[in-house]
Formats: sequence, C-alpha cells, structure tokens
Amino acid sequence: MSLENKAPKFFVVISVLVYIFLWAPVVILILFSFSSNKFGIKWEHFTLKWYLELLDNVAVKDALTRSLIIASVTVVVSTALGTLTAYGLYKLKFAGKKILRASILLPIVIPYVVTGASLLVFFTRVIHIPLGYPSIIIAHITFSTPLAVFVILGRMQRIDWSWEEAAMDLGANRITAFTKVVGPLLLPGIAASAMLIFPWSFDDFVITYFVTGVGSTTLPIYVFSQLRYGATPVINTIGTIFIAVTIVPLVLSSLMQKK
Amino acid sequence: MRTSKIKGRRTKNIFPRQLPLYIGPISVWVILFVLAPLGIILYFSFLKAGPLGEVIQNFTLENYRAIVAGKYGIIFLRTFLYAFLANFFCLIIGYPLAYWIAKYGGRWKTFLMSLVIIPSWTCYLIRLYAFKTLTGRTGLINSFLLNLNLISSPLKILYTPYAVMIGLVYSWLPFMILPLYASLEGLDPTLLEAAADLGATPLERFFKVTLPLTKGGMIAGTILVFIPSLGEWLVPHLLGGAKVMMVGSLVAHKFIQLGNIPAGASLALFLAAIVILILYLFIKLGGEEALERML
Repeated sequence: MSLENKAPKFFVVISVLVYIFLWAPVVILILFSFSSNKFGIKWEHFTLKWYLELLDNVAVKDALTRSLIIASVTVVVSTALGTLTAYGLYKLKFAGKKILRASILLPIVIPYVVTGASLLVFFTRVIHIPLGYPSIIIAHITFSTPLAVFVILGRMQRIDWSWEEAAMDLGANRITAFTKVVGPLLLPGIAASAMLIFPWSFDDFVITYFVTGVGSTTLPIYVFSQLRYGATPVINTIGTIFIAVTIVPLVLSSLMQKK
Repeated sequence: MRTSKIKGRRTKNIFPRQLPLYIGPISVWVILFVLAPLGIILYFSFLKAGPLGEVIQNFTLENYRAIVAGKYGIIFLRTFLYAFLANFFCLIIGYPLAYWIAKYGGRWKTFLMSLVIIPSWTCYLIRLYAFKTLTGRTGLINSFLLNLNLISSPLKILYTPYAVMIGLVYSWLPFMILPLYASLEGLDPTLLEAAADLGATPLERFFKVTLPLTKGGMIAGTILVFIPSLGEWLVPHLLGGAKVMMVGSLVAHKFIQLGNIPAGASLALFLAAIVILILYLFIKLGGEEALERML
C-alpha cells in the first residue's frame, strides 16, 4: 500500500517515541548490569563483577536449575501433547469439538490469577500433591499446551496432506506415515512451538507464584522475592540473562516458521 | 474430486476408533487440570471462611451477594476504567506505528515488527521491574529532569494511578500493534488508489477507507489488550502498591495474604465470567477473523 513514498513527520516521531518507550527500560537494565554502582540505578564505570558474583550465588543457581528443568519438561510434554491434539482436531470430526477447543484455551483466556488460584486450591485441598516440582510442572503444562496446539494446528493447515495419502496408498500405516512423512512436514511447526513454550514457561511468574511451595523457588519467583530490597545489580544481571534466554529461542522460532 | 472422496471416507473411518488415541490425553488433562480446579473453586465460592482460614461447609450466597451489592464496586470500576484507558492509549499510539511500518517499512518491515514483539516476550516481571526503577523517586527519569532543572523536586509517578496505566500500556502495547499491522498489511492498495482517483484527499482516504477496513484489527487488538488488562495483577501490585488495587490484585490478596478461599473464589469466578462474556461479545463483533489472520 503505497501512494506516497516519504512518511509524514508525525508518523516518524510517534514511531520513534513508541520504540523508545518499549525498549528504554530493557536497554537500561542491560546497561546497568555492567555498571559498578552498587544500587544498580546509576552509571559509574564498566564492570563484570556482578556477573562473577552471580556465579557464586547459590540461591540463584538453584533457582535457575529449577527453572530450566521445569521449562524443559514442559516443552517436551506440551509439544508432544499438543502435536497429538492438533492431529486429532485437524483430522477428526466429533461432537463437542468446539467445547474441547475452548476448554484447551481456557487457562490462558481467563485471568492468570484465576488459573493460578484454582490450581492452588485443587492441589492443596483436593488431590493433595506437594507444592513444588509436581504442582509447578502440571501448571506449566496446562498453560503451555494451548500454545503448542494452536501453533501446530496452524502448520497443519498449511502443509500438503496428499503426501500422507500417497504414503498410505503405497502401504504405509498411519504411524509410519506420520513418522516418515507428516512428522517431518510438521517439524518446523513443532520446533517453533517448542521455542515459544520454552520462554513462556521459563518467564512465568503469576501462575507459578500461586502453585510454588517453600524451597521450590524458580528464577522469576527469586527475582520477585528480591524486589523488596529495591533495585540491585543482581536483578539487573538476572534480567539481562532472562532477556538473552528469551530472545535466542524467539529468533530461532521465527526463522523456523518462515521455512 | 477423487482425492476428496478418499479423504471423506478416511475421516469417517477413523472417527470412532482413533478418537481416544488423539483426543483422549488432552481431554483427560483438560478435565483434570482445567475444569476440575474451576469446578472446585465454584464449589468453594458458595461456602464460608472461618476465622482461621478454614472453610465452613455451609451453603451460602453471601460471597456473591457482597460482590453484587457493590462491596468492591470502586475496585471493579477502577479496573474497567484502567483497562479501557490502557486499551484506548494502546490504540492511539499503536495505530500510527503499525501504519508507518505497513506503509513505509519497505524491506525493513519484518525487522521493525520484531523490534515491537521481542520486548513483549522477555520476562514480564523483569520488564516491570525495569520500568519501576526508571520511574521511581531516584530513578533515571527523575534524576534526568532534576539535572536539567526542569523540576525542583522528584515527580511522584510510582504508586499512582498514572504508573498503573502507563504500566498496562507498556505491557500490552505490542499485542495491539500486531493485529493492527496484520490488518493494515492485508488492505488492498487498489482501494486507496481508486479513492484517490475519485478525488479523495489523504485524510478522507484514511477515515473513509483505511480506518473502516481495519476495524477487525482494532477489535482483535482490543481482545488482546483489554481482556488481559481486566485480569491484571502484577502491574497494579508492583506499580500501584496497596492504594491502586485492581480486581486481579483483590483476588490474589484474598487467596494469598488472607487465605480466604471462599471470598477469593467468588471474586475470581465473577472476574472470569466478565472476561469470558466480553471476549464473546468482541468475537461476535468480528474479532475472530482478524485474530486468525494474525496467526
């Protein structure tokens, strides 16, 4: 859509201001993680000492390990469950399909505090599972699977299903046809969903806050517990790591979806 | 013709036998960890909390009566107002940006859009914290303005309604820009050329062609901004403090600080019902198609 080629100043000014608004806090956080000021809010001179201190911080390492384990398990289970579900939703006609689709989306449509609180009550008052790895992983799979289902479903709508028909006409059963033909065709979608779910799970604070127990701190929960001490260089460094952990899979995911 | 026949036959054949295999696991998961927990809090919302946080097994409508009677009226009103204003500001600052990228982005379009999306995918808590350090009493904005002698004492931004509203806009703006951009990209340029040929001025073209044709994008953006803003907890909690509570913070407060499950449950379900109702209305208004185009 181009009638004129040069943008009016108004649009340029607003656009630049919006970019500054979106990026300034993030950029300043990264910058200050390298500042020697111990309150973490002023620039003095360049240092890597906060990163080195982070290496000795047992609580941070513990929380980081826990977050990585939870995100990895969530990625594997959600992506597998999501692929199976997307295949069923795409291929089959059945009664109650709309209700099922809506119910899958429910945990991310209703406010996170509602999802988190309902899971907390369910875990502690009904099925009595320990608050820690089991409760956090179940919660993360519950709010990550919708993402997997709909990203993979989107891919299914774009691939050429006659390949599967051809494989089956040539004698492959449905499982062989899936592993040899459909699976590879879906792979970019499956990989993209995994790359989206990893930061989605790794970053989650609100729902995790409800279902976490004593001694099962994830990295966002740790950051939250440190906030009452105000700005500290430790949070700036963790924040920078978070941004890196998020951006890398995101860029990979967008590269994969383009294929 | 032939392939569609085969496909039809296969679809029918696998319907009864393979349904449990593909749909079984997710159905079990959804029933156990989505519907059952909501059912449980629905049950608890009709009970009463004892003085020590225990739940008394007596059926009562008291929790809902308190909500309907307006016990939390001011918090509900404030939530709606903030969500509405956040959505409004996202729309009026997001539209020009989306328009600029779609129209003048050229080969930089993808890059410019990723610059919009990337911040929204980095940890929400960290971003709000960064935002908080910027706007605090000794934060960068205040020290900058003080150094320039533009102000004589630090501005109080944090823990005011303004901070909450700016925080909401900051959190959700990318989700407004995304569908707006998608609908502007999908706009047929020949329509604008036709309007120009027929003598429409640039302003007329914008208000009579572009704006009406991107209504779907605006509705989709509203779904992605207004709906989550209504249930927001972290933004008012971190930036508003105890004074500027929204319904989400009230729910979290009842559950976590007070341990009052019945009161928390009734508020949570009331909030979820409002959110689902509004979502349904927006989808009916035509947001669904625009949301799908965005994917």
